[in-house]
Amino acid sequence: MKRFLETGNFAITEGAILAGCRFFCGYPITPATELAEAMSKRLPQEGGVYLQAEDECGAMHVCIGASLGGMKAMTATSGPGYILYADPFGWALGCEMPLVVVNSGRVGPVSGITGAPGQGEFYLTRYPTQGGNFECITLAPNSAQEAMAMVVEAFYLAERFRMPITVLGDQLITDGFEDITVPENEDEMKEMGFRTWPRGSCAGPNFYPFSDDLDIPPVQMGSGAGGLCSDWTPTEQGYDIEEVEAHHKHAYRLIYKVRNHRDLFNHLYEKKYMDDDPDLVVVSYGTPSRVVNTAVDKARSLGMKVGALRLINLWPFPDEHFTRKTKYLTVELNWDGQLVREVQRAAPKDSEVHFLGTCGDLPTIPDLLENFEKLLKNQPLERKGWELEAW
Amino acid sequence: MKDRLEIVASGFGGQGVVRLGQVLGEAAVKEGLRVTMLKSHGTEMRGGYVRAQVVLSPNTIDSPMCENPDFFVALSSAAYNRFKDTVPESGVILFDPAFVEEIDEKLACTHRELPAKQLAMDNFGRPIFSNSIALGAMAKLLENEMDKEVILESLLEIIPKFHDKNREAFQVGYDYMS
Repeated sequence: MKRFLETGNFAITEGAILAGCRFFCGYPITPATELAEAMSKRLPQEGGVYLQAEDECGAMHVCIGASLGGMKAMTATSGPGYILYADPFGWALGCEMPLVVVNSGRVGPVSGITGAPGQGEFYLTRYPTQGGNFECITLAPNSAQEAMAMVVEAFYLAERFRMPITVLGDQLITDGFEDITVPENEDEMKEMGFRTWPRGSCAGPNFYPFSDDLDIPPVQMGSGAGGLCSDWTPTEQGYDIEEVEAHHKHAYRLIYKVRNHRDLFNHLYEKKYMDDDPDLVVVSYGTPSRVVNTAVDKARSLGMKVGALRLINLWPFPDEHFTRKTKYLTVELNWDGQLVREVQRAAPKDSEVHFLGTCGDLPTIPDLLENFEKLLKNQPLERKGWELEAW
Repeated sequence: MKDRLEIVASGFGGQGVVRLGQVLGEAAVKEGLRVTMLKSHGTEMRGGYVRAQVVLSPNTIDSPMCENPDFFVALSSAAYNRFKDTVPESGVILFDPAFVEEIDEKLACTHRELPAKQLAMDNFGRPIFSNSIALGAMAKLLENEMDKEVILESLLEIIPKFHDKNREAFQVGYDYMS
């Protein structure tokens, strides 16, 4: 294994290559520009192809083409580019093409603040396109090393589920440096828990069976398969049609192939001090979870019965972690509160669910401790006007 | 080595703030330590605000934030004023008087002056070597934590040009702090 100091962008690039990615098409944007740069350097060395498109919408369409041609493909961007994926994301979901999409969150909306972290696309990664009638899978690492692992995992899931998978990071993960260990062969990949899945090619006769089955290889153009890639409803035989019953069957597959196989990714979470029924559960994902971990250690040493739940698999939302009636606090990199809404929905009725948001910078440990203490003493969180949205 | 060592460097783009953090981080990796380094910056490549936050530890690092830096390298007045109050009593602020004209005498921490820009002009006639001078100074301040030669080796790896002069500049900074 190799070990060095590098950025998350570099770690993601190496992870993609380890997973078999040989095609990248994107459009540079802070804080994912260095990812495109690293891909442009590394892919040709591995016999792969790097392309820069005219914009993000074009980039993801090109990636769909590469995937239809049998390549494992990836694109990467930040929030302002992720929203431009809306059209091709629908195509990739509807045509069931494996792809990996990386979003490095910065401060929004619109251009916002480029070189600072944000978590404004929590819901957008669940609903990245129009029309509904689909499920999405989102993985959110909290370090450069884990970003590498989650990109490898995303390629694995993309192949098995035949769909685009989002890896949701933030500026601190992609732009930040960290000591990174890169496996150099398959044995070392296994040792690090990395799993891969080869690209298959659907040979028919049924190209789009009306079932929730996994591991049906995707349609591959030019491989003798007769299936189609269309924005209309596919029939079982691979033709397209515009008809409600057929579309219902199609949507069933898009929804339930994910919902019925959550066991493939719902182990992706981390719990800390959660075995003694804590009085307060702090819920977070991405980089804020690292500050939360340190704060919770400190809180325990001060006698506060606080636990930490870090989500890695964000979508489909893991409701199973919220069965206990207790106090919850979400710590997020946004000021409007996004994760908190989902925790409110999943938690038992009448659970107290609170929100603490920062954006552009991480919360501080004293701030977290102060809020833990207040919640444990049943005191309201201090409202600081524009600084804290009331929940 | 204490469980957690925090180093903040801040100034404006083009001064080598990120490079400085990167060299120290790379040296720490070579020493077998765990490392995180956050960088925050504006859109501009040069002239904008830049901050690097480096955390070193023999163990896994949770929070990558430097809330109480052991060392703060201040390369602009704005950076100095923004972060000086985060430095604890045991901490050290290393500042270049070419950029930080006035220091806060009320602070409990130690101030160490390093006229890196002036030393670079006097020795090499170019301000570009002030970063290697600052790294030499940091190598002296960190001598209980890291091997000076490993920091120098990392510097020469990360900055591939002018090896002789960078080596010399590193020594100038080291000697100035000695």
